[in-house]
Amino acid sequence: MWTIGFSTGAIALHDFDSALHLLTRLDVHAVELSALRIGELAPLIAALDRLDLRQFSHVSLHAPSAFTLLEEASVVSQLTIAVERGHHVVVHPDTMHDIRAWRVLGERLCIENMDKRKPTGRTADELRRYFDVLPSASLCFDIAHSRQVDGSMTEAYRLLREFGTRVRQVHISEVSTASRHVRMSPSAANDYAQVLGLIPTDASFIIEAQLPAAEMPRELASVKQLLSGFLSHAIVA
Amino acid sequence: MPRNDLPATPRLHGLQSRFRADWPALSAARTSAEIRFEQLQSTLEGAAPSDTSIVVFGSLARGEVTAKSDVDWTLLVDGQAHPSHLNAILDIEQRLVDAGMKEPAREGTFGGLAFSHDLLHHIGGNEDTNRNTTQRILLLLESHAVGDTAAHQRVVSQVLKRYIEEDFGLLVQGRNLSGVPRFLLNDIVRYWRTVAVDFAYKRRERNASGWALRTVKLRMSRTLTYAAGLAACFSCVMEAGASTAGSPSDRALRTVDHLERFLRQPPLEIMAWAASGDHANDRLLEAGHRLFDAYDRFIALLANEAHRQRLEKLLPSEAPDDPLYAEARTIGRSFQDALDEIFLTDNGTELFKLTRTYGVF
Repeated sequence: MWTIGFSTGAIALHDFDSALHLLTRLDVHAVELSALRIGELAPLIAALDRLDLRQFSHVSLHAPSAFTLLEEASVVSQLTIAVERGHHVVVHPDTMHDIRAWRVLGERLCIENMDKRKPTGRTADELRRYFDVLPSASLCFDIAHSRQVDGSMTEAYRLLREFGTRVRQVHISEVSTASRHVRMSPSAANDYAQVLGLIPTDASFIIEAQLPAAEMPRELASVKQLLSGFLSHAIVA
Repeated sequence: MPRNDLPATPRLHGLQSRFRADWPALSAARTSAEIRFEQLQSTLEGAAPSDTSIVVFGSLARGEVTAKSDVDWTLLVDGQAHPSHLNAILDIEQRLVDAGMKEPAREGTFGGLAFSHDLLHHIGGNEDTNRNTTQRILLLLESHAVGDTAAHQRVVSQVLKRYIEEDFGLLVQGRNLSGVPRFLLNDIVRYWRTVAVDFAYKRRERNASGWALRTVKLRMSRTLTYAAGLAACFSCVMEAGASTAGSPSDRALRTVDHLERFLRQPPLEIMAWAASGDHANDRLLEAGHRLFDAYDRFIALLANEAHRQRLEKLLPSEAPDDPLYAEARTIGRSFQDALDEIFLTDNGTELFKLTRTYGVF
């Protein structure tokens, strides 16, 4: 069944060592290692062999959110190292310059649906061309982005109806009007429950809310409550 | 600014081919609409602040532009309120004036700000003013965003979600099994009756000025939009199927998804579906033929400057003896007869059965 974890970037920015230390205190089995700035990628890749990731059945790595065309080949090459170790790689589609160059990452490549600020990659229609060029790729379904794009959750429904079988990871949080990832509110949880049935049971939920360490247990409990509430309802139904 | 085309009308073209019909006024009006819309996109480049959409209504959104067509528009805000929104509308107005496009209608329903909060939260009740209801229903039935569609699409989806989620008869098994969204249908009917009542109000307030032209429009383009709204509600059963599979959430999302896509079509295209969809038989197709014949003649009448001016100036006392008004009445009757055949006659299709069950009570 669904595993839950945190994004290291959400809880400790680029300091993945501190983030992993925080996670040892929690009952989580998924982690997304963040390298959101281009300068953070090489140190993270270099550290992969020494990091103790035994706690986690799902490990992903978030690629930089911006890089130039000249940097793209190096980024792909470094991410390939993560893939060779069995990790997934999460990429923003609007950062890709040469989409075909990312084929080498196969099904470990997780394309993430974007928030409303981005020029593309926000909807099923916009993501389709990426999956056309990258047929093996997976989807990192950012449920908060999708709700921001369409609060009725109809676009989330369309995304999952078309690409649901590709979902390997879900980013869960709430996106504020300033497009920041914050704690999930009861309203957001209520909306998310409408589409949980379309998410594969072997996907991992990564909490992306930007949190101080003290608030991590509470947010983890909220997400667990959402997921277990949905499951118990589904069983009863 | 992203570019956004007027939606295509393949079914209408299919009907035209099938009947080898020559609907020159409709074709010309569509071409004019495309040109006008393209011009509008260029004119309004960069005018919409973030979290807003410039939304056009009326003949431009329907794809039926003639020389004297207004540009009915609203700046739809779906985000944080900001004082600069007023500057945005003033800027849009000035750009339209500078581009030689006409000012919108008198009542102030358009040409200003509309807030998603009001459209979404005030459905029914004292806060749901005439203006609010009109904007909301026209947002669903005959609107199109210029440039960035994000705010427009969000609001349409959210409004539809309210209608569907709160339609307990639709979502609770054992009641409205047919899948017709009754809450939405009732509000479309309410809008239509409001338009009809407002016709009498405007006649009184304006001392019958422009009465004849408004009468013709009421019988034709306003009726078209209403009929398309009915057809859209019935399409939830006829097109999308009345599947009761899944949880109420699943059914709600399916229905909203269907309606949001279906309503992107202009009213003429929706009526082309009504007359020629998979459910159609020869009677329905022939009714569709007559419907669009009549509508083409209506557009031709509007496109004729002299005829339009004549109707604008005609007094009620002059109407019985006026040949142009008589022609307009004939067109209106032909249009209504076709609609009666489609919806109100036992023509062997679901449209009649659904209208009988849901169209009156």
